[in-house]
Amino acid sequence: MPLRDNEPPVTMRGELRELWKFRELVKMLVTRELKIRYKNSVLGFVWSIIPPLMQVLVFTFLLRNVLGVPAKNFSAYLLSGIIPWTFFSTGIQDASQSIVINYTMIRKIYMPREAIPLANVISNGVHFLLGWLVYFVAFYLVAPFFHGGIPILPTLVFFPFVVVMETMLVTGCALFVAALNVFYEDVKFILQTVFNLAFFIMPVLYPSDQIYYTSSLVRKHPWIFTLYMLNPIASFINAFRHFILQPIGPSAFNQSPRLIGKPPLPFDWTTFGGACLITVLVAWGGYTYFNYRKWQFVERP
Amino acid sequence: MTSAENAIIVENLHKHFRIRYRTHLKTRMLNLLKRQPPLQEFTALHNVSFTVPRGQTVAVIGRNGSGKSTLLCLLARVYRKTGGVIQMSAEDGSPARIAPLLDLSAGFHLDLTGAENILFYGAVLGNTAKEMRACFDSIVEFAELGSKVDTHLRNWNEGARLRLGFSIAVHTNPDILLVDEVLAVGDEAFQAKCYAYIRKMQSLGKTIVFVTHDLRTVERVAQRVIWLNQGNIQMDGDVGEVLQSYRVFSAGAAFTDGLN
Repeated sequence: MPLRDNEPPVTMRGELRELWKFRELVKMLVTRELKIRYKNSVLGFVWSIIPPLMQVLVFTFLLRNVLGVPAKNFSAYLLSGIIPWTFFSTGIQDASQSIVINYTMIRKIYMPREAIPLANVISNGVHFLLGWLVYFVAFYLVAPFFHGGIPILPTLVFFPFVVVMETMLVTGCALFVAALNVFYEDVKFILQTVFNLAFFIMPVLYPSDQIYYTSSLVRKHPWIFTLYMLNPIASFINAFRHFILQPIGPSAFNQSPRLIGKPPLPFDWTTFGGACLITVLVAWGGYTYFNYRKWQFVERP
Repeated sequence: MTSAENAIIVENLHKHFRIRYRTHLKTRMLNLLKRQPPLQEFTALHNVSFTVPRGQTVAVIGRNGSGKSTLLCLLARVYRKTGGVIQMSAEDGSPARIAPLLDLSAGFHLDLTGAENILFYGAVLGNTAKEMRACFDSIVEFAELGSKVDTHLRNWNEGARLRLGFSIAVHTNPDILLVDEVLAVGDEAFQAKCYAYIRKMQSLGKTIVFVTHDLRTVERVAQRVIWLNQGNIQMDGDVGEVLQSYRVFSAGAAFTDGLN
C-alpha cells in the first residue's frame, strides 16, 4: 500500500479546500479581531463610524465653504468615496502586519496561514458594511426629513456586486503584502506613503470625471484616463457612486467657465469590466504568491 | 505494514534550511554582480526513516542542534519538508488528529478570557465551537481554573496559562501527541498530574512522540528512544540500551568540550 503523505501536493483547489476545513478558525479569528479592537473603549463599535463621519464633516467644510464647491448633496458624494477607500487602505495596511503579529502562533501550530490575513480583511469588511449601513440610513431615511434625501436608483441592484469585487481586491492585495512584509519590513512604510498620496490621486474627494475634464493632458490623450479608470479602486469608487447617486456635471465641483454645461461622463462598462478582470487577477496572484511564500515564514532570519 | 498497526511512518525524511543573512543593499548588489548565491543551505535532517507502532511512546533525544525540534515541527506540519514521506494515520486509516504540544501558550490571546481562548485554541487545532463546548467543563476542571476562566488571560500567571494549554490540547481527542519539552513547566503537583494523564493516554492506546533533555523523564515514560545526532538517527531502540550509549557519548562530548 503506498503511503499517504501528510502534505499532499499543493494546488490552489487543494489549498482552498484546506482553508474551508478551517473555516471555524477564520470565524474565531474574525470575532477575536472585532472583540479586541475596541476592547478598552467606552464607545466600542461606534469608533468604526466616527472617523469617516468626522472626515466628511471636515472635508465638506473645507471644500464647500473654503473652496466654494457648490455641489448639492456633497457629503453623500464624499462619504460614498471615503467608505470604500477606508476599507481599501485600512484593510490592506492592517493585513500587512497580521502575519508578523501572529508570528509566535504560526511558528508552533499548524493552520492554513492565509486564515490570518483573511480574517483581518473580513473584520475590516464588517466595518465597511457597517459604514454603508450608516450611509443608507442617513441619506435614505433621515435626510429626507431635512429636505436633503437622495432618490433610490434602480442601479442599486449592482451595488452588492461592487462590494464583492472590492472585497476580492482587498483580499488579493492583503495576501500579497502580508507575505511580503514578513521578509521586508519596508512594506509598512511603503504602504503608508502610497496610501497617503493615493488618497488625493484617487477619486475620493471628487468624482473621477474631474480628472478627465480638468487636465488638458488627459483630454489630449484619453488613454491616460482609461488607464486611470482601469485601476480597480478608482473604478469601484466610481461604480459605487454611479449606482447609488445621480450623475452630476463637472461644473458642480469646479466652476471654471470651461466646464459650465459639460455633461457628466456616461458609465463605461468596458473599463469597469476590465477593472473587475484585473481584480480577479490580483486575487489569484496574491494568493499564489502567499502560497509560494507561506512555508518560508517560519524559516526567516 | 498497514496504517492500523503503524501510527507514524517516516521515510527518507530530509529537511534543508536556507540560512539568510541580514545584509545591506550594497552587499546584496555586489553579490548579484559577483554571482554569489546569497543563501547557504544547512541540512537539519538527513534521510531519517522510522516507524512508530500505534500506542507506542517514543522519546527523541540528542544534543542541541541535532534536529529533534525540527523533526517534531515537521511531524506537526509547522515546517514543510524538503523531501521524504510522513504518514500519520488514525486507527481507521484516516489522517490522524494531532495534538501539538510544542508551545502551550502559543495560540492564546491575552486580551481574551479563558473561555474565549478555549474556543479559539480549539479552532486553531481544527475543532468546532460545538465540540469544544462539549468538553469545556472537563478542560476547566483539569486545568484547575474554577471561576478564573471568565477573566482575561493577561491577569493569569504563567502556570495557569500553561495548564490551560495542556488541558485544551489533550481534550481534543487526539490520535497522536507531539510533546516538546513542555512537561518541564508548571509546579510539581501539576507535573505529576500531567504524567498521570500521559499514562492514561498510553493506556488508551494513543501514540506519543516527545522531545526532551531530561533522561529521567525518558526512563519514566518512554517505551522506545530515538537518538538523533547531527540530523541522523544514531541509535533507535530499547530505552535502557540507547540511554546507556547516549550517556557514554555525552560524557565523552563533555570531556572533549572541556579540553577545547
